[in-house]
Amino acid sequence: MTSFCTTTAARPAPEPSVVLADCRPLGIYVHVPFCSSTCDFCAFYQETPARGDFDRYLDGVERELELAAIDEPVATVFWGGGTPGLLPPSALRRLGELLRARLPSPPAEWTVEMTPSSVKEEKLAALREIGVTRISLGAQSFQPRLLEALGRLHPRERIFEAVDKIRRAGFASLNLDLIFSIPGQSLDEWRADLDEATALGPDHLSTYCLTFEEDTALYVKLSQGRVSMDMEKEVSFLREAECRLAAAGYRQYEISNYARPGAECAHNLNTWGMHRWIGIGPAAASQDRGWRGANPAGLDLWLDKLAAGERAGEDRVLLTPDLLAADSLVFGLRMNAGVEVGRVAARFGVLFPDDLERRLREWEGDDLLERDGDRIKLTAGGRLVADRLGAELLEILG
Amino acid sequence: MDLKHIRNFCIIAHVDHGKTTLSDRLLEHTATVTQRELKAQHLDSMDLERERGITIKCHPVSMIYRDKEGEKYFLNLIDTPGHVDFSYEVSRSLAACEGALLLIDASQGVEAQTVANAQLAFNQNLKVIPVINKIDLPSANLEMVTRQLEDILAIPAEEAILASGKSGIGIDEIFEAVAHRLPSPRLADYPATRALVFDCNFDTYKGVICYVRVFSGTIRVGQHMLMMSDKVKMEVKEVGFFSPAPVKTHELGPGRVGYVVTNIKSVADIKIGDTITGADKPAAEMLPGYKEVRPMVFSGIYPIDTSDYEKLKASLSRLRLNDASLIYQSESSVALGFGFRCGFLGLLHMEIVQERIRREYDVDIILTYPSVIYRVVQAGQGSIEIDNPVHMPDPSHIDEILEPTIRAIIHTPVDSVGDVLSLIMDKRGICEHTETLDETRLMLRCVLPLNEILVDFYDRLKSITHGYGSMDYELAEYQPSDLVKLDILVNSEPVDAFSSIVHRSKAEHKGRALCAKLAEIIPQQLFKIPVQAAVGGKVVARETISALRKDVTAKCYGGDITRKRKLLEKQKEGKKRMKQVGRVSIPQEAFVQVLRAQ
Ligand SMILES: Nc1nc2c(ncn2[C@@H]2O[C@H](COP(=O)(O)OP(=O)(O)O)[C@@H](O)[C@H]2O)c(=O)[nH]1
Ligand code: SF4
Repeated sequence: MTSFCTTTAARPAPEPSVVLADCRPLGIYVHVPFCSSTCDFCAFYQETPARGDFDRYLDGVERELELAAIDEPVATVFWGGGTPGLLPPSALRRLGELLRARLPSPPAEWTVEMTPSSVKEEKLAALREIGVTRISLGAQSFQPRLLEALGRLHPRERIFEAVDKIRRAGFASLNLDLIFSIPGQSLDEWRADLDEATALGPDHLSTYCLTFEEDTALYVKLSQGRVSMDMEKEVSFLREAECRLAAAGYRQYEISNYARPGAECAHNLNTWGMHRWIGIGPAAASQDRGWRGANPAGLDLWLDKLAAGERAGEDRVLLTPDLLAADSLVFGLRMNAGVEVGRVAARFGVLFPDDLERRLREWEGDDLLERDGDRIKLTAGGRLVADRLGAELLEILG
Repeated sequence: MDLKHIRNFCIIAHVDHGKTTLSDRLLEHTATVTQRELKAQHLDSMDLERERGITIKCHPVSMIYRDKEGEKYFLNLIDTPGHVDFSYEVSRSLAACEGALLLIDASQGVEAQTVANAQLAFNQNLKVIPVINKIDLPSANLEMVTRQLEDILAIPAEEAILASGKSGIGIDEIFEAVAHRLPSPRLADYPATRALVFDCNFDTYKGVICYVRVFSGTIRVGQHMLMMSDKVKMEVKEVGFFSPAPVKTHELGPGRVGYVVTNIKSVADIKIGDTITGADKPAAEMLPGYKEVRPMVFSGIYPIDTSDYEKLKASLSRLRLNDASLIYQSESSVALGFGFRCGFLGLLHMEIVQERIRREYDVDIILTYPSVIYRVVQAGQGSIEIDNPVHMPDPSHIDEILEPTIRAIIHTPVDSVGDVLSLIMDKRGICEHTETLDETRLMLRCVLPLNEILVDFYDRLKSITHGYGSMDYELAEYQPSDLVKLDILVNSEPVDAFSSIVHRSKAEHKGRALCAKLAEIIPQQLFKIPVQAAVGGKVVARETISALRKDVTAKCYGGDITRKRKLLEKQKEGKKRMKQVGRVSIPQEAFVQVLRAQ
């Protein structure tokens, strides 16, 4: 096994099982499309709320939940955005109640994304009340200089205050989002970010390599040559995160995600395991009832479609066994636990072509992949090229 | 029509010296065509010809001219292809004439092609009428041009007519000279029918149309004739001349120029330069100068999209309908799939064919390195001819390799002569003779290996001389040369499309350049890839493409799945368009870039 780690971290405990086929979990994702301003790197669909937008949005959610007609237990709920935390306590409460009213039982995991500036005691209280179990805080960095480079409007102190409030409000689980490979960021600064983050003791960390998405302010800077991309730097930062977080007791379970054992985000494991999810809100994606699809990205567009009784109508793809089996391998490989090839074939009733076996063997030879019986998983080197491997898998699997 | 009143002539000139303009003016002057028709006719001509300012094919035109005394003359203007690749065709067109107008641009003076064409005309014993053209230009330098006429071409300056095709100066004088200075048709009293086929064309309705010059006898509709080179019999279906539209007649008598339609269906069955004679009373000898033309330059043409193979095949066969000098046969390449090995008269011919396939038949193609025909003498087994590096025998079986050379005339400004000489040396050439054209220009006569001028010689000459240099060449003999086959290996697999035959002294340099180029354009893959150049199994250059370091996006949640899948699908589509060499995927673009870069 190749590993980038040079620290003498204790051998990690066994990986969590990600094959959740049997319990057919269903997750609900709610997209809250509002932000107070747009971060320089952000390519998410979000808008600055106008007067009355919150109510229109909540009415829309109510309508969409009606259309979705959820009639079974829901394992996980995730509110993302945008900035769900931007909603005032009353709106958070209404959103929560709309959802609760539709669910036969409270979900075991309920995550809400917040930015440090939006964390307020009253909001946290409202969230606790409706049953939220987990807060995902967009810290991004602890370096004032880099926060500014990202166009984030919070000072670093705001992160500490936010974590403190979340703790005091009694949330069991906390994730911190960190961004790395920011133009001008040094390896030392990244180490410092990792250390400050782990010092705060969250049970989950997500580390994202900064990407230059089209239509972002940062992309414009890139194309103007004002900032540049540095692949070697990205690689060294990725390795640094793997090593440093392992040493601090966080286990990487997906390319960008680390958790204390048992604190993995069940909602996301459900997604990568190619189970089912229902997306509510503009731009939210669903994979359920034989189809994959998304809502239009735009409050008005979304509301128009809902009025016409339509949801998840964009980018519609029929979920065939072949597609699900291929995606199970492609997205399963992004997880450190990897994926069980035969098990996937059996689950969807497909037969993988012989080429797959040949290719897997080549990758093993190239030190990109490891096999453990039926299970395949990427090496540290393989994780760095997971997209390329994914494309090749699709090429083989059609 | 009596012989005394027939004149057959052509116009020869360096490109851009005004041949087309002058021809048009002559037609207009004799009211053969109107201004309006001229435009229409121009629009009809192939884009490519017009773009490059060269004429590939144009039929002869007959004009009626009344001289100053009121005598009526029948003038036949025969077009000559404007490029050295077609020098045999040029020589056949000249052979159909008694005289030539030698056009010289008054501001440019004598150029390489002027000299070469004039030599061809003299060799055919044509009466040459020098015409100094474009004298309306303020930059016209009559003194320079007249001196060049005498010094370089040995033509008395007083024979020159000052003209401008554009403004119409000297047109009358040109007509008078054609009528009175040129001899009437020769070889007319030979005791049998003889007509020279100097060109042919394919017409969808009529089939093959031969352009002929009758020397003796008469060709009539319904007659049985014989092609003398291969004794093929045929029946005459139609005869006529161009004015410029085809005009049907019953017969073509001695001295006449026109067309003959027979029952022959394919231009491939017509040999340019052949003699047509009567089947019942055949001539004893052919007209002089017939030669079988053979392609000089070979290259593989492959469709970029392999599914275009049939389309490419169809376009080649249609091109061949009208271009007997294009030959092709199917071949396959490990790297490029199925395609065709094609033979061309020369580089321009190759370029024209390639462009026409792209433009007229809309097939995206890629060409492998052009190659000449090498003679490989094998130990104890005699010699073989090779036009594809892939067929080169093992070096241990080779006694000697001979390569074709050319004799070139190069004109260069004096300032650039040093650079031109080093270019010639770089291309393994020898400069045998230097002549002064005027205070600013020199003429070099040199011998160069044909394979060295295949690719970038002309472009480099042009760039060294800031556009003022010019060149013309003819084929010369084969010479022994220390040639080797250079192979390119990607991840230890030879890529046949990149193989080439080069002089040993250049193998390493070229190998290095190729490896570097490939290392630059083959995208990184999941593993490390060595790129090597080898001669006879010995590696002479090497580069390594390091393995891809990072290709992964951080975020991939529910909403990202569709987006990510689309992205991966796109990557996968991109890969489909790549050629697989062993485990390495080489983008089609890399082949195009490498093959074009050389
Ligand atoms: N000033 C001037 N320009 C001319 C004359 N004849 C041709 N040209 C120009 O020279 C260029 C080349 O003419 P063209 O007849 O196409 O030359 P070709 O390549 O020899 O057929 C064109 O731009 C013509 O307009 C002339 O008598 N005087
Ligand atoms: S807070 Fe999040 S969603 Fe909003 S602009 Fe910033 S990165 Fe984008």
